[in-house]
Amino acid sequence: MKTRQITSAMLLCCAAEASYAAEAMSELDYYQDLPVVLTASRLSQPLSEAPNAMTVLDHRMIEASGARSLTDLFKLVPGMYVGYYKGSQAFVSYHGATDQYARRMQVMIDGRSVYLPPVSAVNWADLPITLDDIERIEVIRGPAAASHGANSTQGVISIITREAGSWAGKRVSWTRGNKGINDVSAKFGQRGEKLDYHMTLAYKADNGYDNLSAPPNNLPLTFPQASTLLNNSYDSNQARLLNYRADYHPNGVDNFDLQFGFNHDVQSVGFVDKNPTLLNPLSTNGNPPHDLFANSNFVQFGWVHQFDNQSELNLRYYHINQEQHEAFPVYLRGVYFAGPVTQSRHTRRDEIELQHTLPFNTNNRLVYGAAYRLDHVSGQGDTPPLAKRYASSDNSNEYRLFAHDEWRITPALLLNMGAMFERNALGQSNNSPRVALNYHVTPQHTLRIGSSVAYRTPSLIEQKFPSLQPGDLFVPNATVNSPGLLPERLVSREIGYLGEFPDWTSSLDVRLFSDQLSQGIFVSAARTFLNGVEARYQGLEMTLKHDFSPDSELTFNFAHETASSNGVVLAAAGNRSMVSQNPWNSDILAASTPRNSASVLYAHRMSHDFSYSAAYYYQDALQPFDRGAVDYQPIQRRMDVRFAKGIQAGDHSKGEVSLVLQNLFNQGNSEYIASNVFNRRGYVTFTLDW
Amino acid sequence: MPAVNFNPALSATLLRWVVSLLASWVLLSSSLAWAQEDLRVLVLLSDRAVPYQNFANTLKQNLPPNFKLQIVEQVNDYVEDAAVDVVVSVGVKAAQRAVQTSHPMLAAMLPSTEWTRLLSKRPKAIASSAIYLEQSFQRQAAFLRIALPQRKKIGVLYASDSPLNLAELGKKLKARGATLIEQQSSDHSHLFDDLEAVLLRSEVLLAVPDTSIYNSNSIRNILLESYHQRVPLVGYSQAYVNAGALCAIFSTPAQLAAQASTVLLDFAQTQRLPAAQYPRLFSIAVNEGVARALGIAMDTPDILRLKLNPLEEGR
Repeated sequence: MKTRQITSAMLLCCAAEASYAAEAMSELDYYQDLPVVLTASRLSQPLSEAPNAMTVLDHRMIEASGARSLTDLFKLVPGMYVGYYKGSQAFVSYHGATDQYARRMQVMIDGRSVYLPPVSAVNWADLPITLDDIERIEVIRGPAAASHGANSTQGVISIITREAGSWAGKRVSWTRGNKGINDVSAKFGQRGEKLDYHMTLAYKADNGYDNLSAPPNNLPLTFPQASTLLNNSYDSNQARLLNYRADYHPNGVDNFDLQFGFNHDVQSVGFVDKNPTLLNPLSTNGNPPHDLFANSNFVQFGWVHQFDNQSELNLRYYHINQEQHEAFPVYLRGVYFAGPVTQSRHTRRDEIELQHTLPFNTNNRLVYGAAYRLDHVSGQGDTPPLAKRYASSDNSNEYRLFAHDEWRITPALLLNMGAMFERNALGQSNNSPRVALNYHVTPQHTLRIGSSVAYRTPSLIEQKFPSLQPGDLFVPNATVNSPGLLPERLVSREIGYLGEFPDWTSSLDVRLFSDQLSQGIFVSAARTFLNGVEARYQGLEMTLKHDFSPDSELTFNFAHETASSNGVVLAAAGNRSMVSQNPWNSDILAASTPRNSASVLYAHRMSHDFSYSAAYYYQDALQPFDRGAVDYQPIQRRMDVRFAKGIQAGDHSKGEVSLVLQNLFNQGNSEYIASNVFNRRGYVTFTLDW
Repeated sequence: MPAVNFNPALSATLLRWVVSLLASWVLLSSSLAWAQEDLRVLVLLSDRAVPYQNFANTLKQNLPPNFKLQIVEQVNDYVEDAAVDVVVSVGVKAAQRAVQTSHPMLAAMLPSTEWTRLLSKRPKAIASSAIYLEQSFQRQAAFLRIALPQRKKIGVLYASDSPLNLAELGKKLKARGATLIEQQSSDHSHLFDDLEAVLLRSEVLLAVPDTSIYNSNSIRNILLESYHQRVPLVGYSQAYVNAGALCAIFSTPAQLAAQASTVLLDFAQTQRLPAAQYPRLFSIAVNEGVARALGIAMDTPDILRLKLNPLEEGR
């Protein structure tokens, strides 16, 4: 009996002690060791310290913009041109409108370069990513090869997705709108002590653009014009995608991340414009309406290790795989061939990069490393009506070495120096240096002066242009038909000013730039690609931000740009591709650059979880680079608005209903091609989180 | 007749003054004489961990050689011995043991809430004092004011069983023109919902020592989330600042030991222990990288200290 009493007393005592210990704070809470979480590579560089002009689109702006497609967001970047060849075939360029294969910008998702051969362009519709997966987008305006590798001649778009640990829970979202807009997504995420992960499953569909109801620009339509006026009835898109990201952090010094994703995309492509008609019974249409199927996937692995001396080792490997195929009938000189003509193309990329960030002291930091890339492209086509079969297979590899030093000479003076040495896929060696000096006149006012050089390796298509071009896919030629192509070279100079005005809760970012392109590649009279374009782009860009209150903010972007080139000389020499279609400007590059463009984004969050935002876009008239006069793009104005209401659906679940109206005032918006008519459209999104 | 005013009250005051001066001289000389004798100090560490060792080493260096210092490195090794003038306990575990002794005690490096709890178990007759581990709310409020003057909504996430005196913190913040945004964390599984809720309403997240919320496993995602929401976290140790907190104000074991040594020197002279006190010496750390990334213009720790001192004197 006594023993039992003692035992129970002891038990009680232990229980008391245990609960006491749970409650008690101890000095060890104060002196505990913690892992270094916000490492140098996780922290974003403030604009006033960046060696380049940079625009950051954070998740708040992304949401406020009401954008449904990733590329539309870049309309909020000063001086950027966003065009669409088809409803889902977007391209983003800087320094005016390019052809539909914009290939002068580096585009990365978490450091993974997604511009792919053979065109060296980005298939935006095939990216296994939703807007909700994005933490922020950093857009560097101007070359940044020294820090972002090759092909960043015009700039760099760096998309940073949310870390696995930055979100947890379950979310479903359903969007329904006119123009066939129908999106569904489900997201699931979990945080753990050592492992965080999240996963997104999404379906996204729309019917693309509206159609022209009258000839554009009040032009009388004649056949040659009509033949370049592509009917966009067949530009719907359906994407099914999945992505997964896991971060494993077994201790305070190592972080492993694994990502993979998959996208299955079906696009309507092709046109009826060139189908034989009564007037043109012998017309040939090698690209009638049909579906283009794309399967893209990737896997990416990263390891970050922190050393005691605060230095950081970063290892990244990724593999991208993209397969596209199409099958379609053709009209050959008025005769219908059910065919089908088939084409398929397969692209693979493997890259490994090792980077070491070494802080010498608090004022000097060196980042250096090396990367190796292997690209593989194979394609084949079969065109029975012509009894032609063609196939090609290409392997190329490149490596690069880079170093970048950030040196705070004095608290007011920051020097960024860097260089990249690359041996590109053609076996050519290039050296891309950069130097920028940031001077903080006061902590609130910064001047930046910088100069850099960058190269763009000619794309596989430019070297090996297809011998036959039916359908939508380019299947590279088996032999080089544009030999001796050199990389395009861009030299950029700029002066920037960044001001913070805390009393007015405002900031201003202005820059003057002059970019000189040399050895630019163009299509010659003999239908081969040649170096020879010389162009100069000069202008002013600015971003003004103002917070009216902590819950309402305004962003205003403006760009003024002029271009001049030797396009007239090249055109006079018989190069039809360089003939300007603009009757008022014979310089094709100058004509394709909008003189002024601007955008405004205003967001306001009110009480009772109600918020609204509005975006306004303006772009001066331009002549799209490789389009006919019929596609002359007059002044573009567009206003988008978004209204959202949050709903508390329980203790730990909440929802949101939002309505987005794009081109609210129906201001005759068209993009790149006159028949890409973007009339007012709206959609409603229901989101539930729990 | 020229009057010489004789004021009996004044003369009495003078007399008292002279007497008390004499008395204090006698007392002072006797205590000085006593101080020259050996003060036997027993330093009881909670265990052998580095912070306790740092404390013991600094204390040893700061005390005169005639003090007899006996260091017991683990609570369990302690055997009560009458030949001790004062026990200095270092840490909570050591304090829990030291309160059971009949010696005068100075509990160092423990949270104030813990000391209040322990003191209730100890006879009032035995001299007892403490040097707290954490900074006073007064100092924390003043620090937030000078470090982040623009940010006035101070969020605090706390567990339901937290012994924190939030009302007091709120009062001190209000006195500095700031507002306390409280958010109770209902349970562990919804920690990040609660974190998100407090971050949405706050301009600064003030970390409080509560391992059910802030621990080496959760700190990663707490810091990521606060960075994601662009709300800086203010921590309470150097480790926090290294991990990614914007700044912290804290006292190192060495600073607490230095303060303990002045208390002991006084004790040697007066045989009295002062009231429990907050740290007198403190450090400030700033994570420049985080400040830059969040676009926050921060003073250097030295300048912050210079600005903080006059504010503290004015209390």
